[in-house]
Amino acid sequence: MVLSMGPQHPSTHGVLQIVLEIDSENVVKADPEIGYLHTGIEKTAEGLFWTQAQTVIERMDYLAPSSNALCYTLGVEKLLGITDRIPPRAQIIRVLAMELTRIASHCVWLGTHGIDLGAISVFFYCFDLRENVLDLQEASGGARMHPNYMRVGGVNGDLPQGYVEKLDALIEKFPGRMRELRGLLQANPIFQDRTIDVGVLTPDEAVQWGVTGPSLRASGIAYDVRKAFPYTGYETYDFETPTRTEGDAYARFLVRLDEMEESMRIIAQARKRLDTPGPVMIDDSKVALPPKETIALSMEALIHHFKLISEGFRVPPGDVYQSIESPRGELGYYIVSNGENRPYRIRTRPPSLYNLQALKGIAPGNFIADLVVMIGSLDPVFGEVDR
Amino acid sequence: MPSTQSPPISGAAIDPPSLRPPIEDAVVERVAPAQLRARLEALRADGYAMLLDLGAVDYLQREPRFDVVYHLLRLAPRAASVAEIGTPARVRVLCGVAPGEHLPSVMDLWKSADWAEREVYDLFGIEFDGHADLRRIQMPDDWEGHPLRKDYPMRGPDRDRSPRPSFANKSNVVAGTPPSGRTFEALQEEVKRARES
Repeated sequence: MVLSMGPQHPSTHGVLQIVLEIDSENVVKADPEIGYLHTGIEKTAEGLFWTQAQTVIERMDYLAPSSNALCYTLGVEKLLGITDRIPPRAQIIRVLAMELTRIASHCVWLGTHGIDLGAISVFFYCFDLRENVLDLQEASGGARMHPNYMRVGGVNGDLPQGYVEKLDALIEKFPGRMRELRGLLQANPIFQDRTIDVGVLTPDEAVQWGVTGPSLRASGIAYDVRKAFPYTGYETYDFETPTRTEGDAYARFLVRLDEMEESMRIIAQARKRLDTPGPVMIDDSKVALPPKETIALSMEALIHHFKLISEGFRVPPGDVYQSIESPRGELGYYIVSNGENRPYRIRTRPPSLYNLQALKGIAPGNFIADLVVMIGSLDPVFGEVDR
Repeated sequence: MPSTQSPPISGAAIDPPSLRPPIEDAVVERVAPAQLRARLEALRADGYAMLLDLGAVDYLQREPRFDVVYHLLRLAPRAASVAEIGTPARVRVLCGVAPGEHLPSVMDLWKSADWAEREVYDLFGIEFDGHADLRRIQMPDDWEGHPLRKDYPMRGPDRDRSPRPSFANKSNVVAGTPPSGRTFEALQEEVKRARES
């Protein structure tokens, strides 16, 4: 029998349709049908300035917007050849934003994964924690969901007053909240029954399907872009890459929880470095807006301001592949410039797309109820899968 | 059909990226479509176990018009620690394709090529020979044109803005007999027989 699950099914985390061929309760074949959220972001970006394109690109992975923005800006900076001139404080703030967004994203994953399995209360604990992170995002970028805080050349303005105190409070609160989250699920016999040995990805299969991120590391391969191809100063931070060898949904759950704690370790290290003041934007008026106070005094500043706002900056011709470790895996942008003030082509390597594709490999032979667990444990975000 | 907004094609055609020195430390290769399959097989045998990404770029005024871009990662397909992985090698393979020209599918080498090739087919109209299920993936099945081509208007073709019948085609229940042969009717029949006996 052929049954269609979704695209309005509550456990499909958005708009995923799975065409299931079932034999009573067993899945014989699962064929995910995507594209319901296709909004043509890559096409839209081709018609915008380099800076404007970042705004739509941030909407791809809406649970971790800063990771998209950072990956894109790093790629553009490489094309401009200014990678080495990004101020250290901007790099610290970028790392901070990245790890905060990872925690916020994993909170949504854990909360909804819990709900899929009937553990409603986990959701409230997770969203309470996420709320603290969103407060910080709002303080720094001005918006909760899409802060658009990254800029080519640095970040948009220094951290506001009171930010560091809020961050300290979060660092203080975090270990207790993690203990509670672990207490709710980790040793929970129902949760273990539903996730252990479910959706096993062998290392070989995971690599074949192009799975990256926590899902790959749960299969025993410790490939982490932050370690393999360090960017924005990750090589100077001390952190581990949590790895498991079981490859099942429970291993992916444990890896993500460990990863949240490692993220907090990085945040604590970045917090210490924040005490040193400094510029947060590159001192290059071809790329960065001049300080507002100089505009009334300097003709050059006024000209640069006008030029950057009205026609943006131009990027030398070339192509570049930049990747970062987003909460879901290796997020990459293949950016092509033809020397104009708009990107010629931006190709995304969406981690969710490749991770979700592995469902075709792991679903057959399992129950429909386990399919829900597998989707949840792969953590797809459909803004990114469909773009 | 003329559209309300022309696509922003600005400037002359740009050089093939492979002719310029690479900006990053990735290895960049350019192969002809005829040699593509052999080159990728060689790379696969060389330990490039992960196909990171497969995309395409449309250089409208250039010959050949399209570039299909493969990003490969050398990764051992077995458990390994951070230290063992180190900095894995990454390679970019570019392949120029003329409109209407077909490329060999690499789905059998890397399973992850499945959706990526479908996406390139959907958005650029480049066909892959040997792909098991080459159909549209992002756009509705009855869509006309390939949106990421540079000559495709930014806002889509001019058309009636009423609800599109194409959404109805992505129907919720797929009819027909599944390959296993067990239809709903057959199942009902089985249940009936079981109840009677």
